[in-house]
Amino acid sequence: MRVPVIALKRRQWEPFAFASPALVLIAIVIVFPLIYSFYLSLRDFDLSVGSDSTFVGARNYAEALLRDERFIASVWNTVVLIVPSLVCELLAGLGIALLLNRVTHGRPIITALLAIPAMVSPVMAGMAWRMMFGVKYGAINNLGRQFGLLDVYFDWFSSPFMSVVAVVLVEVWQNTPFMMLVLLAGLQSIPQELYESARVDGASPRQSFWHITLPLLKFTMVVGVMIRMIDLTKLFGLIFVLTFGGPGGATETVAFNTYLVGFKDFRMSYAAALSYVIVGGVLIMTLAFQFVQRWREARAA
Amino acid sequence: MSTLVGTTPAVAVRRANRHRVGRLIADVFTYLGLAVTLVFFLGPFAWILTTSLKGNNDFFAFPPVWIPSDPSLAHYVGLFTRASGLRYFLNSLTISSMSMVAALLVSLPTAYAIARWRFGGTVFGTFLLVLRMLPAIALIIPVYLMYKTLGLTNSYLGLVILYTVVYIPFAVWLLVGFLRDFPVEIEEAAMIDGCSRVGSLIRVVVPIIAPGMAVVALFSFIATWNEFLFAVVLTGIETKTMMVLVTTYTSGGTDMFYGEASASVVLGVLPAFAVAFMLQRYLVKGLALGGTKG
Amino acid sequence: MRQLGFVAVLLVLIAVVAAGVLPVQAPAQGAKPYEGTTIRAVVNAEYVKYSLSLVEKDLYDKLGIKVDVEVIPLDAFVPKTLLEFNSGSSPWDLIMFGPSNMPDYGRHFEPLEPWTQKLKLDFQLDDIADVYKKLMLRHNGKLVSMPYDGDVHMLFWNKVAYERPDNKKKFKEKYKYDLQPPKTWKQWDDASEFFHGWGWDGTDNKLFGAGASYKPSGSGYSYHWWRSRFFSYGGQYFDADMKPLINSAPALRALEEMVRTISYYPPGVLLFESEEPKTMLVKGEIPLLYSWTSTGKRVGDARESVIVGKAGFGLVPGAEIDGKMIHRPAITPGRAMAVSKYSKKIEATMKVLEFISLPDQSLKIVMDPKTIMDPWRVTHFRSEKFRKAFPGAPEYLDAIEKSFPLVVPDPVIPGADEYQRKLSFEITEALAKRKPPKEALDSAAREWEKITDRRGRDKQKAAWGEKLAEMKAIGIEYHPDWAAKAK
Repeated sequence: MRVPVIALKRRQWEPFAFASPALVLIAIVIVFPLIYSFYLSLRDFDLSVGSDSTFVGARNYAEALLRDERFIASVWNTVVLIVPSLVCELLAGLGIALLLNRVTHGRPIITALLAIPAMVSPVMAGMAWRMMFGVKYGAINNLGRQFGLLDVYFDWFSSPFMSVVAVVLVEVWQNTPFMMLVLLAGLQSIPQELYESARVDGASPRQSFWHITLPLLKFTMVVGVMIRMIDLTKLFGLIFVLTFGGPGGATETVAFNTYLVGFKDFRMSYAAALSYVIVGGVLIMTLAFQFVQRWREARAA
Repeated sequence: MSTLVGTTPAVAVRRANRHRVGRLIADVFTYLGLAVTLVFFLGPFAWILTTSLKGNNDFFAFPPVWIPSDPSLAHYVGLFTRASGLRYFLNSLTISSMSMVAALLVSLPTAYAIARWRFGGTVFGTFLLVLRMLPAIALIIPVYLMYKTLGLTNSYLGLVILYTVVYIPFAVWLLVGFLRDFPVEIEEAAMIDGCSRVGSLIRVVVPIIAPGMAVVALFSFIATWNEFLFAVVLTGIETKTMMVLVTTYTSGGTDMFYGEASASVVLGVLPAFAVAFMLQRYLVKGLALGGTKG
Repeated sequence: MRQLGFVAVLLVLIAVVAAGVLPVQAPAQGAKPYEGTTIRAVVNAEYVKYSLSLVEKDLYDKLGIKVDVEVIPLDAFVPKTLLEFNSGSSPWDLIMFGPSNMPDYGRHFEPLEPWTQKLKLDFQLDDIADVYKKLMLRHNGKLVSMPYDGDVHMLFWNKVAYERPDNKKKFKEKYKYDLQPPKTWKQWDDASEFFHGWGWDGTDNKLFGAGASYKPSGSGYSYHWWRSRFFSYGGQYFDADMKPLINSAPALRALEEMVRTISYYPPGVLLFESEEPKTMLVKGEIPLLYSWTSTGKRVGDARESVIVGKAGFGLVPGAEIDGKMIHRPAITPGRAMAVSKYSKKIEATMKVLEFISLPDQSLKIVMDPKTIMDPWRVTHFRSEKFRKAFPGAPEYLDAIEKSFPLVVPDPVIPGADEYQRKLSFEITEALAKRKPPKEALDSAAREWEKITDRRGRDKQKAAWGEKLAEMKAIGIEYHPDWAAKAK
């Protein structure tokens, strides 16, 4: 009678045994550091001054949210970068997905090719475009000059506005393919019969687009936008290589500012607090987005 | 209701022709649009590649020279020798390979536990979501301090551990998907034949979901290859990766060191090119889960 | 099967790691005293690595030592290196650093004097120009480093722009005084306005009015350019009580002038680091620039310069106060080389330091246009080879020496890098028109107070007190009234 008992026990600990390496590692490398970071954020640990620190409670958070002009400016900068990027990625992604949807042969190759920008590192994308933006020898200015469109010396980073444009451009270049893939998958899940019966009913292509495609694509678009929005809040590598936050602080994103505080000023506690403010912000933003979506859906019903 | 019913053959033919012309225009527009799209998305790579093969005469010329007149690998040689590029390329390769293998080793049993025994299923799902939203900066601050005390900065081990663990949730999620498609009967047959659980996992399941594992491996390779923040904070001269190498050219170097800069970009995007074709079917899922940005 | 493959991969990787990490250990045999030794250096730019490569062959031939140079980009350099040192170790033997940061670095360096005696080293200290002797050698009285790059600002102008009769006529008509290389800031601003936007070299090209570097990276750029104006209008970093004076009247006047005239500079000026304006100068696109002396080498380099023999060299503009000219060229940040006291190869590194500081080896480094290192030994300035290197070289070298008595350093106190960075950032914010000048400077002053508090107000006050006295001794003091009456 011992075998069933052992068998029962084994059943209970076997899954644990299988998952334990992962669980242990996650606990040590992710969960513990995050807790430690929160603990740090309640102190005033500053590596540039020394290794001692005292407990200061929520002071870092108060400073970040109320008195740190540079951090608040970086929040605004991040928003300024997110909104145009999302809009452009959605529109361009939709356009390309629609085009690609009409193609039958060659689609896998084109899809794979178009996906490449999304698979390279933002740092590499940033470097490639930085060279292309080069004032005197970059591809864009060379092209512009060759066609007589651009002035002798057009600098893409000469003003805060142009720098934002440049960053948005590279972001859109890199991530439209993702949006396009998501929307393409969504388009392909729409049953053809709907279009057929619409055409039989005399609907123009534009009408079927507005009344069939878009509504059925809405959910996919929402998912895509949410994923991209969360990714955009993490904008760091691209900024590092393309503008390093410049000119002045015009393209300093929240992640970049926190990096400077933590690894240039070495104010680790304050940086930890900033990172939690960012996490909180992303959470609120995501929840707000979902809330708005549900509210609009409820209204439409 | 359709107006086709009460028409003459002539009108029907004309309408059919208009349709065909309309479709032709739409087709031309489509292919033109896709061509422009391809040029836009792939053009930069082509330019960087040609730039890395250009000599000084071509790069600094105006009117601009688009195709190098005398292509040479001199910049790559310079990158590998003078700028120690070979060492950094090997670093990236080593770290990414080790992380990929380690992630698979740890994630497979975990995914198995979830797929077979519903082990804490929703927990992992929520964890994945949380991790997706977490900015890397939140993790690197405490990890950096911990590593400093443990002496794990500027070491392969430190980065590999970090990359492996950060990638576990994604790997697990993808593997669960593959495992769920796997027919349990084959496994049970093996176990009736006397295999242990672990044995059946290794000898039966793994060979069959090997393609799925390859997908996970490739994604994790790319994600760790592309990773930047952890690398820039935790590496030193011996362990610097390709991503960090590229940043040495940002300080006023893009004109003076254009050759090395463009060569390092070409090498840095090589994995993406290699992997894109292989991972086609899983691209949406992988990208959505954050599988390539790290 | 998979395990086998994994083990194989692991072995290969271990081999790679071992090859890359383990130092080459070989017995010191043979003709070369340190045969087989490799020491590790850390520098903050590719140019510096390149400059070391100029002497590495001779170094190896004579001593058998190889130098493995790591480049940490400018922006990360001070934080990363200080972090290593503060934790009590360093992976590097030879350290390049900015002497303005000596208060933060100095205690990690191995004093040179004991080794000078032990190894019979000769650093030829007498041959170092005074101004560098003061700034680049000592920490708490002990000799810890040798200069490597004498960074001083000077004025460069394009003679074509200044000598064309047509230009002279037009200028005189508009501004009512003769066109000459600017001596005051007003003359500089007038000239930049005058020269902007047309072909002052006689061609149809649209050229620019003047050059500068306004990017807030490393520890400066825009603040270096602002500082010369600031000090010539009577400014000073702090008062005796450690209160920042960087938002005082001289500061405001200096920044307002810069903001007002920024449209006469090339469009990318907000992101210019050290080399971009120099490139524009030598390509004849700007007529005026004040910048580091290494510019002069590029001016004379026929491989890229179109103004060889057509450039003038002089003193950075100043302000006229009560009939007297006050010039305050910046000396910043400079580069010096030191030996890490945590190094395991101090002896070999000392020999390397001696070697690269030798007059003829360092001359090689400071003469090459691609290294951007500036002369710092008296023999550099008197060297026949240097003086014959390009047309105008003698005037160039003499002009540098003329600036020496007037230079104004960085605030050389603990946290120097952070003070400068925060100020530079705010200055560029004002230049980018993201903030009004007054608000930017007030922000900077607030940041400075925060830094002083974090570092310990009393400690900072004591350190600053010394520097204040030193600057006073060479005539640099705070004069609030100058800003209004400076001409």
